Amino acid sequence: MTAVSAPSAPQTTSEPPQRRRRFSPTPYLLLLPAIAVLLLALGYPLVWQFVTSMQKFGLAQQFGKPPEFIGLANYTRLFTDPQTWAVVARSIVFCLVNAAITVVIGVGVALLMNAVGTVTRLTLQIAMLLAWAMPVVASMTVWIWVFDWRRGIVNWGLTQLGLDFTNHNWLEQPLSFYFVATVIVVWMSVPFVAFSVFAGLTQISEEVMEAAALDGAGPRQRFFSIIVPMIRPVLMIVALLQVIWDLRVFTQIKMLQDAGAPIAETDLLGTYIYRLGVGSSDFAMASALSIFVLLLTVALGFFYVLHLMKEDQ
Amino acid sequence: MKKTLSAITLLTASALALSACASGSTTSPTATGAGTTAAAAQNITLWLAGGDTPDALRDYLKTTYQAKTGGTLTIEEQAWPDLVTKLTTALPDANNTPDVTEIGNTQSPTFTNVGAFSDISDMYSELGGDKLLQSFVEVGKVDGKNYTLPYYFGSRYMFYRKDIYKAAGVEVPKTLEEFNATVKTITTKNPKNIKDFSGFFIGGQDWRNGISWIFANGGDLAKQGNGQWTSTLSDPNSVKGLTQLQEIFANASKAPKTAKDQSPWLYINNSDVVKDDEKDPTKVTGKTSLAAATIMAPGWAHWSIGDLVKKDGKEVRQWNDDTFGTFVLPGNDGQPAPVFAGGSNIGISAKSKNQEGARELMKIIFSSEYQQMLGKNGLGPANSEYTSSLGDDQFAKALIESASHSKLTPAAPGWASVEASGKLEEFFQKIADGGDVTALAKEYDALLTPMLNAK
Repeated sequence: MTAVSAPSAPQTTSEPPQRRRRFSPTPYLLLLPAIAVLLLALGYPLVWQFVTSMQKFGLAQQFGKPPEFIGLANYTRLFTDPQTWAVVARSIVFCLVNAAITVVIGVGVALLMNAVGTVTRLTLQIAMLLAWAMPVVASMTVWIWVFDWRRGIVNWGLTQLGLDFTNHNWLEQPLSFYFVATVIVVWMSVPFVAFSVFAGLTQISEEVMEAAALDGAGPRQRFFSIIVPMIRPVLMIVALLQVIWDLRVFTQIKMLQDAGAPIAETDLLGTYIYRLGVGSSDFAMASALSIFVLLLTVALGFFYVLHLMKEDQ
Repeated sequence: MKKTLSAITLLTASALALSACASGSTTSPTATGAGTTAAAAQNITLWLAGGDTPDALRDYLKTTYQAKTGGTLTIEEQAWPDLVTKLTTALPDANNTPDVTEIGNTQSPTFTNVGAFSDISDMYSELGGDKLLQSFVEVGKVDGKNYTLPYYFGSRYMFYRKDIYKAAGVEVPKTLEEFNATVKTITTKNPKNIKDFSGFFIGGQDWRNGISWIFANGGDLAKQGNGQWTSTLSDPNSVKGLTQLQEIFANASKAPKTAKDQSPWLYINNSDVVKDDEKDPTKVTGKTSLAAATIMAPGWAHWSIGDLVKKDGKEVRQWNDDTFGTFVLPGNDGQPAPVFAGGSNIGISAKSKNQEGARELMKIIFSSEYQQMLGKNGLGPANSEYTSSLGDDQFAKALIESASHSKLTPAAPGWASVEASGKLEEFFQKIADGGDVTALAKEYDALLTPMLNAK
C-alpha cells in the first residue's frame, strides 16, 4: 500500500528502501538449515576432537570415567617423539610423489582420449570408470593377490621373464612397500584426473589450436603454451584435491599392512592416527595428531586456494 | 505483501521441520531401544569372534534361547583382528552394544578393568564355579569379582609331515633343544628339493607361536610387582628363548618375515586352495604348494590339513595318518613346553539393556549340553568336568597335553592395547630380521611397560 506512493518520491529517497530490502531475513533463514547441518556434522566432531586433544582420554574415559584436562601436554609428547616427525615426513613425500605421478599420468590419458577415435575413447572411458567405481576394499583384495609373495601374478610374470622373483615378498621392505602402495593409489586416482582434464580439453576451441598450428607451433609448444594455460584452473583444482586425498590415504595402507608389512616403518598419518587412537586406545593423542593433520592440510591447501581466488578475480 | 509473508512463514516452517527431522533421526534409536527393554521376551545379540564356533552350536544357542525365553537371539560374527576396535566403540554405547560378547582371553583384562562388563559373581557357582578353567577365570576377575568367564580353550601344537621327517632321516624331537636342531636339519637337507623349504614354518611377526620359546626357557612377557607391570623381554631367560627363535628364523624357516599366524596349514598340505591340480593330478603343481615340514597351529587346524578329497561335491581335507602327524612342542625337560593358551572369555556388557536375557544366555552356554558340544567340536570346554567330551583321538590328546602346561599372556590392564598396537609383531619381526636380541628386548621393554599399565 505504501508502495503505491513510492514512484512519486524523489530518486534519492528510493534508494534506502532498496537497501533495506537487501537486509530482509529470508536468505538468512534459508541458510539456516544448511549451516545447522554443517555445524552438527562437521563442527561438533571438530570441537570434540579439539577438546579431547587437551585431555587425558583413554579406554577408561571411553567407558565413562571423567577425563582430566591436561592442556598442551599431549602436543608436547607428540612433537618430542621422533616417530611423529618420521611419519609426517613420509606422509608429505608420499602424498606429493603420488599426486605428481597421478596428475602427469592423468593428463597423458586425457590427451590420449582427446586424440583417439570415438570407439577407442569409449573403451578407455568405460575401463577407467570401472576402475574409479570399484570399491576400495574389493580392489585392494585383488591388488594384494596380485602382489602375493607366493602366488602373485607379478612374481610369476617376472619369473617367466627370466628374473628370479619366486617367493619375493614385496611388502617386507618399506621402499618396495611404498612402491606397491603408489602403484595402487595412482591406479585408483588417475581416472578422476583424466576425466576432469578431458572435460577441460573439450573446452579448447579447434580454431585456436588450428591457428597455432598454422603459425608453426609444434606439439610441445602447443601443449605448454596453449593447452596448459587454458586448462590451468582444472589442473590446479585436481592437483589440490589429489594432494589432500593422498595425504589422508588410509584404507590402501592399512590393508597392505594387514597383508604383512613392517608396521612402524610403513605408517603414514592416517594409519598412525588409527594405531594411536583405536589401536592403543589413546584417543587424546590421536586427536592431537588429527588436529595437526588438519592444520597441515590447510597449510598445503592455503597456497592453492589463495591462487584460485586470485584467478577468480 | 501477504504473499511474501506467507512465503517466509512457509520457509521458516520448513526449515524448522528440517531441523526437527535431523534431531528426530538421532533420537529414534533410543526410543526403539527402550521399547525392547519393556517387552517380556528380550531380543538379544551375541558377538562371537571368528569362525571358531561351528554353525551347529550357533543354531543350538538360537533355538534353545528361543525355547527358554521366547526372545530372539541374534549372533553376529566379528573378525578377530577388528574385535578390540569394535568392542571399544560398541560396549560403551547402550544402544549398540552386544548383550553378550566373546572376547579373547588376553584381551579381557583391559576391558574388565574399565568396567565394560557386568558383575556376574552371583552366578559364578551356578555356571560351574571352581570347575571352570581357573587361569581364564583369573583374567576375567577384578578385585575378586567375576566379570568374564572362560568360553573355550584351545592350545597350539605341532603338525608335521611324516614322509619328510623320514626322508630327512630325523625323528620326532623329545626336547626343545632337539626340536630346534631337527627343523634346522630338515631345512638344510631339503629332501624333496623344494625352493625355500622350511623345516618349521613360522612367520617373522608370529609372536603368538614365538612366545612359546620365551615361556619354555623360563622367561615371561611381563611380571607384576607393587601393583605395576614391567615388560620382561630383556630378562636373561626371555633373551635365551628369543635367541633360539632367531636361530630358527635364520636357519629353519623361510616364511616371510612379515607373516603372522594366519593359515600356516597352506604350507604343509600337498596342494593348497589353488585348484589347478584337478585336470592333471600328476602334474607337479604340488611342488609350489608344499613348503614346510612342520607348523604350529591351534588344534582345530587339523580340519584344514590332509589330502584333498571330494565330499558332497565340495573339496575338503581328509586327514591322512601316513603323511601327517602331530606332536606337542617339548620343553627343555622333555615335558610339554608352556605354549600360548589360546581361547576366549565371555561376558555380559555392562551397558546392555537386556541383562536378564543375557544372563539366561550365559546359563545356556554353561549348561552341560553346550559344554559337551564344544568338546565334540574340538574346542576345549570351559568346565573341566566335560574335558572328556573332546574324545581320545590324537588331536584331543595333543590338545589336552599341550594345554596342561600352557600359559596366558599377562593379565595387565593395558594388554589388549599392547596387542592392538602391533608392537609385538614389530618386535618379533626385528628379531627375525637378525637384529641384536638384547638391545631390541631392552628397547621394547621401555616401550611396552607404560602401555601395560595404561588404563
